[in-house]
Amino acid sequence: MTLIGRGLALLGLILSPSAYAEWQVNLMPGVTEISRAVYDLHMTIFWICVAIGVVVFGIMLYSIINHRKSRGAKAHNFHENTLVEIIWTIVPFFILIGMAVPATATLIKMYDKGEAELDIQVTGFQWKWRYHYLGEDIDFFSSLSTPREQIANESEKGEHYLLEVDNPLVIPVGKKVRLLLTSNDVIHSWWVPGLAVKKDAIPGFINEAWTVVTEPGIYRGQCAELCGKDHGFMPIVVDVRSEEDYKLWLAEMKQAKAQASDAATQDWTLADLMEKGEEVYNRTCAACHQVTGEGIPGAFPALKNNPIMVAEPSAHIDVVLNGKAGTAMQAFRDQLDAVELAAVITYERNAWGNNSGDLVTPAQISKLKQ
Amino acid sequence: MSEKPTIFQMFLSALAAMFGVQSSQNHTRDFSAGHTWTWMLLGVVVMALFVAFVILLVTWALSMAGA
Repeated sequence: MTLIGRGLALLGLILSPSAYAEWQVNLMPGVTEISRAVYDLHMTIFWICVAIGVVVFGIMLYSIINHRKSRGAKAHNFHENTLVEIIWTIVPFFILIGMAVPATATLIKMYDKGEAELDIQVTGFQWKWRYHYLGEDIDFFSSLSTPREQIANESEKGEHYLLEVDNPLVIPVGKKVRLLLTSNDVIHSWWVPGLAVKKDAIPGFINEAWTVVTEPGIYRGQCAELCGKDHGFMPIVVDVRSEEDYKLWLAEMKQAKAQASDAATQDWTLADLMEKGEEVYNRTCAACHQVTGEGIPGAFPALKNNPIMVAEPSAHIDVVLNGKAGTAMQAFRDQLDAVELAAVITYERNAWGNNSGDLVTPAQISKLKQ
Repeated sequence: MSEKPTIFQMFLSALAAMFGVQSSQNHTRDFSAGHTWTWMLLGVVVMALFVAFVILLVTWALSMAGA
């Protein structure tokens, strides 16, 4: 194909409607009153800018074309015109005031944080989110659930690649939900475009945001503040349900919590803990220590053939539960329940040829967590 | 041309300076007569009036929002 032929083919591809079906460049109107107000404001400002551009560039083009030298135009040579100067100062002033009025009205609406029907504390972690439903005794972590094989290009990428989590934030439709945002480590930012909520989560501070979603559905977002290695791997999924479905979910969560507490007192075999541990490890630890347990030299230590994995378990348990000061190793005491902790420690002690033969039980961990 | 500006003309010139546009004729007049310290004092007074105006405007706007 000739260069021109290639160019035409590329142009055809760019201009074909199907090329635009998959993506959009504009803001989305979203599903809340605020998101629609933000969208309308954005479009108002956009069209004002378009009008200014048309007028300014129109006059410029007209002047360039109709008063060009080849036509014999001669430039005026004058200095100072107070009237024109006053006009070009006053007109932008009124344009800015015209933009500030709807912008301020929208901002005032966004800052109206009172009278929430549900308060949820959102805590950013490297690299996951924790949701604590205040007054409901529900507290869970929400981590990326995209399989590692998809990330490593070993399998085909799914529809919601890097925008899917194990435990979404579930909220009721039509209720004012207040989000209290903070962080456990570095600055993150909780951003869900469909809800028009984007708020920084800063260690030591509590920022507030709120939303009233008018349509049930799944809304996806991401961390919007560069927060380290896996910044692009801590998505947000908000599952908006009807009031009845939300109440059902609350009941299920409370039941699951009770079951998890029971599970910690049951007897677990090595095989059961290894199976559960692999799942927990791949979800929670593999981002740093890698699926192979070989870590990343210079950044994250290898667990494979690590002397701590085969020595007496208490040091290993201590590091997993309480983290390691001065390193990126987090404390998983609150992030995982007793069964998950016991399973992942057992897995690490027996996988990749570590073969310590140790079985760390949920009951042991439960005692240490108290 | 070197006629001394009146207080009212000086006040208008201070406002024009805040706005950022002044006619060449007035500009020449203002620079050809009078004392520097008079302009400085006038500048402070006009700025204080502007600050008072902004305070009043914000108070009014907040009272309207509260209502």
